Amino acid sequence: MDKKIRVLLAQPSLENHSRGIITVAQMLRNAGMEVIYIGNSLPEQVAQVALQEDADVIGISVLCGSELVFGKDLIKFAKKKKLREDLLLMLGGIFPPQHIPKLKKIGFKGIFGPGATKEEIVGFIKGALPST
Amino acid sequence: MNKTTKQILEEKSKEENRTPLYNPEALKKIDDLYENWKNTKVREDDRKTWEIVPHTILGSEIPRGLVYSPFDIKDFDYLEDNGFPGAEPYTRGIHANMYRGRAFTRRQLSGAGSPEYVNKRIKMLLGHGATGMNLALDLATVQMFDSDEPEARGHVGVVGVPIDCVEDMETIFKDIPIDKISASIVTHYPRNTAILFPMYLVMAERRGIPWDKLEGSVQNDFIMECVVRNGPEFISPKDSFKLQCDNIEFIRKNVPRWNYVTLNGYNLREYGTSGITEMAVAITNAIESFDEMIRRGYDVDWIAERVAFFWAPANDFFEEIARLRAMRRLWYRITKYRFNAKNPRSMWMRCHVQTSGISLMREEPMNNVIRAAYHSLAAILGGAQSLHVDSYDEAYSVPTEESSLLSLRTQQIIEAEIGVTQVVDPLGGSFYVEALTDRVEKAILDEIDEIEKMGGLCKCVEVGWLQKKITSFIKREQEMIEKGEIKVVGRNYYRADDVKLPDIKVPEYPVGLEGKMKGKLERIRRERDNEKVNRCLKTLKEACKKGGNITYYTLEAARANATEGEMRRAIGEGFGSWKPPLVV
Repeated sequence: MDKKIRVLLAQPSLENHSRGIITVAQMLRNAGMEVIYIGNSLPEQVAQVALQEDADVIGISVLCGSELVFGKDLIKFAKKKKLREDLLLMLGGIFPPQHIPKLKKIGFKGIFGPGATKEEIVGFIKGALPST
Repeated sequence: MNKTTKQILEEKSKEENRTPLYNPEALKKIDDLYENWKNTKVREDDRKTWEIVPHTILGSEIPRGLVYSPFDIKDFDYLEDNGFPGAEPYTRGIHANMYRGRAFTRRQLSGAGSPEYVNKRIKMLLGHGATGMNLALDLATVQMFDSDEPEARGHVGVVGVPIDCVEDMETIFKDIPIDKISASIVTHYPRNTAILFPMYLVMAERRGIPWDKLEGSVQNDFIMECVVRNGPEFISPKDSFKLQCDNIEFIRKNVPRWNYVTLNGYNLREYGTSGITEMAVAITNAIESFDEMIRRGYDVDWIAERVAFFWAPANDFFEEIARLRAMRRLWYRITKYRFNAKNPRSMWMRCHVQTSGISLMREEPMNNVIRAAYHSLAAILGGAQSLHVDSYDEAYSVPTEESSLLSLRTQQIIEAEIGVTQVVDPLGGSFYVEALTDRVEKAILDEIDEIEKMGGLCKCVEVGWLQKKITSFIKREQEMIEKGEIKVVGRNYYRADDVKLPDIKVPEYPVGLEGKMKGKLERIRRERDNEKVNRCLKTLKEACKKGGNITYYTLEAARANATEGEMRRAIGEGFGSWKPPLVV
């Protein structure tokens, strides 16, 4: 039986724009994934919920400039709480293209900007995860 | 049950003594030829699909006919429907001479970086002849967190300036003649307005500048706080609305030349609504605010005088023009017939507009220069008072100096080079624009009616009606873009084979600012009278529980050097928290 892919969606605590993350949540649900939407959170909270919910994917939406800081903190807590090594980290939103290599180095495998389509995002997740 | 606004206006319109402009004989002649023309000159396809729906980003899906003629506005009455500019019903403009008398204000947002840096930037702009400024706050300040709270990490000074307490206000405005400039401070919410605006006032007080000399504006909109916002904690729509009215009352009484509310508008639409809903929500907010202020014992003219609106002109060029005209006429009708306003100033729909950001794309960012230029032109042809043009790097970051300058040039070219500001309401009388103005006005009033029949705007927010409307809109729009029904040049329409992200220049994130702000907070907390601060915060919290205008208490706390985060917590604890309905 196919196990549903579990995606945890969150934003940095103070991020006040949610149109992007809502759009992605709708895309993933329509594609048959289980969406755990926790919204505005601290990095530690995201890591904690990912552990509790046994998430396969963590998706973060950032528009107001904290992508590198949040990303680094998230990885720190993920390691501390011993989250699965194969947990897929994704980031979307508005940030300078120059930050993309830095984000990859931090550990984000999927990085998407405005205009990313359902095919691109869903396709990426399905391609990146081991088949269930 | 009381009559709804729509009912009141419909009754009033029955009393109108209308004199249709078009000669019935002329109309009959046209009618005879019209059918013939349709059957002989118009293709069958076009006859069958006479009305088509333009699909645009943030569009209203209002159908448009192939061509418009006097038939579409058979009953058009020049004096009842248009009138002259600067006179009832104000459709053509709030002033008789519009841009000949006063050009639209070029009010570009600015403000990222440290308070010291922003102080220099403001001085530079004033040196270049700006008479006003538009201050953007950083995310932590907007959300009312101090720069040293864990949630603020990574946000300090990035998208705007950080303000933790009065000292930061003093740094930002050091050596700037605040009694001579107009300062727009973009406090979005009632709660942060009640905290930050008193800090501005305390700064003025400490400099010996009387409050009746201060000019400027704040946003102060509870829809911003409760709907168009995500955040770690909320107060309820009722409490936020109460704060909105407290701010209106306090500012109106104590800072007579200050604009105390800029109704949304823009942020709501950008989140995901049509231009119709955008206006219906802003108007209903205004109506409910007036009702509350009247209940508190104030005269509607005293309140309405300084109400302003904030709109988002987007892609549908003619609809943007028509809806500004429709809004002016509708606002006049509501203030006059629903509220019996006597002062013409109460009936003027004053607005600032900011061109739509979500309509600007990441691919081929230079295309956005064109898009923003069209948005701006529509706003000016529609008669807006003040304009901010979004920059082409909207999908990348806050604007650089270059992209910001290009936005300013866009405005200046419209104002000076293309000859559109010499004639007031140039599209008045167009069969299409008048028909569309009518249609849009009716659509807005229908939505106001829907909100009122559900129990009012506060109620709609509490039960999640507005939030659901937004998420459905977002979903539908995304699907339409993915299917190609909404065409986006460079993305799904004529998409280049190799779409590479250009090496676009973006501003640097400030380095070391967070540490500096933390150090300052430590020092301030050490040096101030902490007993006094605690007393003020306690009184503030109690005031939230007891009732009465709380702005007086935030003012006291600001005087004692309480920080924004401390005041946020006191207000939050006083009112209790609210969990917004999660509608995804």
